[in-house]
Amino acid sequence: MWIYEKRLQYPVKITKTCPKTAQLIISQYGGPDGELSASMRYLSQRYTMPVKAVGGLLTDIGTEELSHMEIICSMVYQLTKNLTVEEAKAGGFDAYYIDHTAGIWPQAASAMPFTAKEFQSKGDAVTDLTEDLAAEQKARTVYDNLLRMIPDPEIREPLKFLRAREIVHFQRFGEALEKTKETLDRKNFYYFNPEFDKQMVTAPAAAEAGEK
Amino acid sequence: MTEREHLAMASVPAQSWGELYDPKQALKTGTIFKDLNLPFFAAEDLAIPVVPAGEAGKDPKQREREELLGKIQEVSFYLDDLRLYLDTHPEESEGLSELKKALKQRKQLLKEFAVSFYPLTFDCLAGIYEEEPERQCFCWEKGPAPWEGACV
Repeated sequence: MWIYEKRLQYPVKITKTCPKTAQLIISQYGGPDGELSASMRYLSQRYTMPVKAVGGLLTDIGTEELSHMEIICSMVYQLTKNLTVEEAKAGGFDAYYIDHTAGIWPQAASAMPFTAKEFQSKGDAVTDLTEDLAAEQKARTVYDNLLRMIPDPEIREPLKFLRAREIVHFQRFGEALEKTKETLDRKNFYYFNPEFDKQMVTAPAAAEAGEK
Repeated sequence: MTEREHLAMASVPAQSWGELYDPKQALKTGTIFKDLNLPFFAAEDLAIPVVPAGEAGKDPKQREREELLGKIQEVSFYLDDLRLYLDTHPEESEGLSELKKALKQRKQLLKEFAVSFYPLTFDCLAGIYEEEPERQCFCWEKGPAPWEGACV
């Protein structure tokens, strides 16, 4: 169940049309390390997590990523809402214009469509949390690259905010991995898969499983 | 290697509770935690001034609305970051007491905004009808779409 709140997590107010910048930023909507990919990754992985608190964290971060997706889409929208055909041509936005006019569609900066191929839900808590750590770093690098390239402060402020969130999420996934390790064989973390070999998981996850 | 570190396994030290930014600074920074503010050199402020768009000619009601919405954004983000910390540190008593304070503020601000302007969530309609039981307004369609940048 989700509830919509009619506001952005971080305000976006862009006053200049710039299809070129929109085409770069759209990568964080539908690109390989974008917010949509992040959200779907975490919201898919959470069901089978052996530690309840980690499933909760994935739900909360996956939900926050949806609000980041909304921030990115708002930026793309505001950068293109008053677009003319001439501006689309001059800004290299003509191909996008042909397929979507000024509609908002999840694709990468390279025009590759959004795809679930960019993320995993592997059914192994250590594997998934390690992927999540990497995912936050990849998204941070995209924001670094965008910040190097875009000078307009109206656009930079929300990008800086989103970059900072990647670092916080990395820290939380690291802590989630530490919690998960506590349920594993201390001498060999790879002795069993805590999501599949449930009978071998030690407390607190075992205690939680009993609660259900 | 410390006790928590192992070969062939990633390891991130757990964060300890530390100094916090106030809600306004936290939203601007992207975290409430001073320890997690790790900026990128190329993200430092450029010498391009931010021109406030049409502040002067702004209608006072809209200014009031934007100010109140700003406060809601700040306290809500404070809660967003606090929540993730508590997800991995559920026994942190200082975090819990901050949470209790901020939740109360947010509840009050959401109700105030709904009554004076429009409901931000469907549940906020309850606040409006509580204050004005006779109000004949569905109200859920009121207010600008969030992606319009509140410049409507």
